[in-house]
Amino acid sequence: MSEQEHTEMEHQHEHTGPGYMTPQAAIERSEPETLAYVVGTHVGTDVDEPDFVAVVDLDPESSNYGEITDRIDLPNRGDELHHFGWNACSSSCHVGGLERRYLIVPGNRSSRIHIVDAQDREHPELVDVIEPETVNELDLSAPHTVHCIGGGTVIISMLGDADGDLPGGFLELDEDLNVNGRWDHQGEIDFNYDFWYQPRHNAMVSSEWAAPKTYQPGFDLDDVEAGNYGHELQFWNWEERTVEQTVDLGEEGLIPLEVRFLHTPEHAHGFVDAALSSNIFRFWKRDGEWHAEKVIDFESRDHEDWDMPVPALPTDILLSMDDRYLFGSNWLHGEVWMYDVSDPANPQYADSISIGGYFGDRQEVQGRELVAGPQMLQLSLDGERLYWTTSLYSSWDDQFFPEEAERGSVMLKADVNPRKGTMTLDEEFLVDFGDLPDGPARAHEIRWPDGDCTSDIWE
Amino acid sequence: MATVRLVWRDGREATVTATDETLLEAAEHADFSLPFGCRTGACATCTGRLLDGDSTHVRQPRALKQRHRDDGYVLLCIARAKNDSAVEVGVDVHNDLLENPRKGH
Ligand code: FES
Repeated sequence: MSEQEHTEMEHQHEHTGPGYMTPQAAIERSEPETLAYVVGTHVGTDVDEPDFVAVVDLDPESSNYGEITDRIDLPNRGDELHHFGWNACSSSCHVGGLERRYLIVPGNRSSRIHIVDAQDREHPELVDVIEPETVNELDLSAPHTVHCIGGGTVIISMLGDADGDLPGGFLELDEDLNVNGRWDHQGEIDFNYDFWYQPRHNAMVSSEWAAPKTYQPGFDLDDVEAGNYGHELQFWNWEERTVEQTVDLGEEGLIPLEVRFLHTPEHAHGFVDAALSSNIFRFWKRDGEWHAEKVIDFESRDHEDWDMPVPALPTDILLSMDDRYLFGSNWLHGEVWMYDVSDPANPQYADSISIGGYFGDRQEVQGRELVAGPQMLQLSLDGERLYWTTSLYSSWDDQFFPEEAERGSVMLKADVNPRKGTMTLDEEFLVDFGDLPDGPARAHEIRWPDGDCTSDIWE
Repeated sequence: MATVRLVWRDGREATVTATDETLLEAAEHADFSLPFGCRTGACATCTGRLLDGDSTHVRQPRALKQRHRDDGYVLLCIARAKNDSAVEVGVDVHNDLLENPRKGH
């Protein structure tokens, strides 16, 4: 039996749990998304209210299309909700009895973790709160990425120690979503940020932002010079929970943020956006070693209001479910882009939309002024609808797009033609987070109820 | 016990008394809502600026650089008043801390 046949045999299993058997099944069997969960924050603004998770109506047939139809209000102010995730994804598709039901919603500033029951998709409810003290007891703070790791357990990347300093680590929640302890062996890494795992290769990759005490107050060029920002990728032995190899991306790889393995579980290949250096790297394993190389380079641009050339700042990337297109957002330049990555070593520019930011060709939609560039992205499972929000992080927004505190974020959408490799802005669609009863809010990460391109992983 | 005057940039003022609690807690006990995030001195969301009097941080104010401390900025979540004092408070104070790479800051 060839190695491939053997692997396929091993992974033939019953589909009794949440999600889809394969990425292809997600593309073919999923229904178009009719609602999204989007985090909204009030931290760092005059609005003295807790952050919230918004339920946004995405059903074009609905009379509430593009509106916030419900929201989960949280008990405390000051959380800065940021990234969030599910208790189960397609990596548990063989685990009978498990449901994609609970959203784990951390506060990056507060280190508080909220558990939301989304069984009623339109009216989710807050059911539990893990307080910061419980997290700090494990010498961790500043939760970031949430991934279920199969069977209902969850790990969360944590950017700092209990004092908001380095090193970061990983927090593990058990099937009941109670804190189970640290997932990592403390001290394996210094910096932490995003992570993604690829079980068939017994691999995990994690990236690096900075210590909470560095990035939370805001961006400071002195910190870059002082080496307070990350520029490495860590490749883990997934089962052993140890770092097997560190790859230094160097000057061209400053602040590697979102890491995405190809969805196809066979591949040991992925991409990462080096936000500050404005480059996209690919990484891959060959002969037992991990490698990385720059594959896309965004040039800085001159702007009359800036002393220095403005970097593009690609803050988010995602791969379409068929692994054909890489999408990204250049927050400062104001550009959403798509590259054909059928050959991952040679990405080919496909299309872009120039909107918002410092250079966008369009600075308003439906008469609503855009006061920041495109940021967090989400793509429909069939690859035909791309959505994005415009806030990065409250203190960084305040520096680069200060008006966002007063005007709030928007959520926008483009129609994607995957056959032609083109995008068109959908001018009918606009969710205005500036126009809410408590006052303007910033919108951040977007999730679909039944799987999406940035949280599902296959075993 | 110290008397602490809170001064907002929009002109509002209030006076609270602080015993052995932090300035953030003292304000909260008197029902004044001030910004905060981590409550451990790491995020600077609670930044205030001492206008008068003295305060001391009960733990390392990690979110402040030395130049900020020299300029009188304090982290209200971990600062205690040493004597009667006045502090500038509110979300705008935090925005003073960092320069923009943009011109004309
Ligand atoms: S609340 Fe974070 S430093 Fe005070």
